[in-house]
Amino acid sequence: MTWLTWRQHRAEMLTLGLLVATIGAFLLAVGLQMHSLFPGGAGQCVGVDVSETCSTAIRRLNEEHGYASKMLNLFSLVPFLIGAFFGAPLVARELEAGTWQFAWTQSVPRMRWLAVKLGALGLATAVLAGVFSAVITWYRQPMDVLDGRFGADAFDLEGLAPAGYALFAFAAATAAGALLRRSLPAIAIALGAFLAVRVLVAGWLRPNFQEPQRLVELVGADDLADPGNPRMSTGNPLDWTIATGYVDSSGRPLSLYDSVAMYSAAQKEGVKFGAYLHERGVQQWVEYQPAERFWTFQLVEAAIFGGLAAALLALVVWRFKRRVF
Amino acid sequence: MTATEYALRTDGLGKRYRRTWALRDCSLSVPTGRVTALVGPNGAGKSTFLRLAVGLLAPTTGSVEVLGESPATNTPQVLSRIGFLAQDHPLYKHFTVAELLRLGRSCNLRFDQGLAERRLAQLEIPLDRKAGALSGGQQAQVALALALAKRPDLLVLDEPMASLDPVARLEFLQALMGAVAADGMTVLFSSHVVPELERVCDHLIVLNHSRVTLAGDIDSLVDEHRLLVGPRTTADLDRAGTVVEATHSERHTTLLVRDGGLPAAPGWQSSPVGLEDLVLAYLRRPAGTEVAPTARTEVPA
Repeated sequence: MTWLTWRQHRAEMLTLGLLVATIGAFLLAVGLQMHSLFPGGAGQCVGVDVSETCSTAIRRLNEEHGYASKMLNLFSLVPFLIGAFFGAPLVARELEAGTWQFAWTQSVPRMRWLAVKLGALGLATAVLAGVFSAVITWYRQPMDVLDGRFGADAFDLEGLAPAGYALFAFAAATAAGALLRRSLPAIAIALGAFLAVRVLVAGWLRPNFQEPQRLVELVGADDLADPGNPRMSTGNPLDWTIATGYVDSSGRPLSLYDSVAMYSAAQKEGVKFGAYLHERGVQQWVEYQPAERFWTFQLVEAAIFGGLAAALLALVVWRFKRRVF
Repeated sequence: MTATEYALRTDGLGKRYRRTWALRDCSLSVPTGRVTALVGPNGAGKSTFLRLAVGLLAPTTGSVEVLGESPATNTPQVLSRIGFLAQDHPLYKHFTVAELLRLGRSCNLRFDQGLAERRLAQLEIPLDRKAGALSGGQQAQVALALALAKRPDLLVLDEPMASLDPVARLEFLQALMGAVAADGMTVLFSSHVVPELERVCDHLIVLNHSRVTLAGDIDSLVDEHRLLVGPRTTADLDRAGTVVEATHSERHTTLLVRDGGLPAAPGWQSSPVGLEDLVLAYLRRPAGTEVAPTARTEVPA
């Protein structure tokens, strides 16, 4: 059975292995160059007052490696590819070719057949995604130190999350394949589900995995205020800023309309917007997730996707138990 | 009779897909050591019946018992005693023949690799060729060799020759019959072609409109039926309860009856009926009609 699993899926294993290896080799090559910009580690260059070498290094990082963010955003589909290409054919290919009748009338009970396949290919999925995220975590290390790890080009590709995404894609493609009995439509359905759940979790759930922290302060007279969003920061560039805003002296939130009206009034009076706000006791606030919550958030993210994957695989097991094929 | 005298027994077996019944109310027995043909038109429920028999499908109603055990348990022990060759003999097309043999060895409790290799060598099927590159007849032979190498007590074949050309059919049939003669296993196979059955089968099940319409030992079935030719009559013949089929010409009426050989009425001439005509008569019958004796589908072994 182990041999059969390897023989049937070695093409996917080799192709996906090659994909991850290619990405790894490329990131290693450009990453070594990027890491060499910071001989003493990027940690020395954190903050506003940095040395001359540091500011040169940071400038070169932005100039020479500015493409990294876009590239990494593209890579966020790699976990899907890994999971879906293992999962989609797992059941669907047997149903397409009629070979399920051959496979499940050997002396291996079909539940055992399924357990071995899910176990082996699920493990391969997790390992490949793990290697992928390990390489990216290493590659992004200087950027993580300087810019934080909560951006979409960091959080979604580092740590435990990619393995969770890949397992979810694996389970979704397997389940879709078992229901639709076709590999290719299964991949399409799995992609739709993958994107939908990823967007939902990243945009709606993730900011509230833990109650965000909130800082409130009076707008300083010399602050470079902006009517849209207060340029308030938490003081730590690695924190994840979720929202900012103004409240008036009575604590009532100011709408964009209110702040724009105040901005025009300030201009009419010929005073700086910051000073205008300061005079009226307007406060600015920021809601954020502190940088040190990164691993907690990674665990929650991985648990959500791992849990969804388990539920989908339970659906496949249930379908096998009923023997409806 | 004890369970082991039957290789296969079903009781009220039925299978429904969504709202349509593929098979209903099927109670029959297949005695051990026999070669049984399951005959019916396309869509009659033959594949469903066979898949239920080998445990690939779960029944909606009733039960099925193979070699004294339920295939629904799906244990390695039950599976290892059943050999199954599905319709169009599906194989992993990108596996070489040698890899398919290795698959058989790694996925079975007992697998007689030597037997399979000898059979394939006799047929001059190269082991290093991919299954997809073999001819249809060769693929069928490989699938048969894999099924036989399990050394099953019951071999089930679904339309094994449907996609083969006449030469390959003959070769396949010879290979199958040679194996049966050597091993004495029970064979159950489905077909919609009647003539080739007579040479190889001794037991028959006719399936039509998702129901069993005739089942039994071929010799006794042929003995029980006969053709009666007499003057044309327009009487309601079905009421007699033994008439399987009536055909009328201008002057004569020909009846196929199942009356166990009662003396013919005056003016009627009796003659034996061939297996093919017998089967065709049952296949032509519309759904929902039953001849009294045929309603009893359990047949003495």
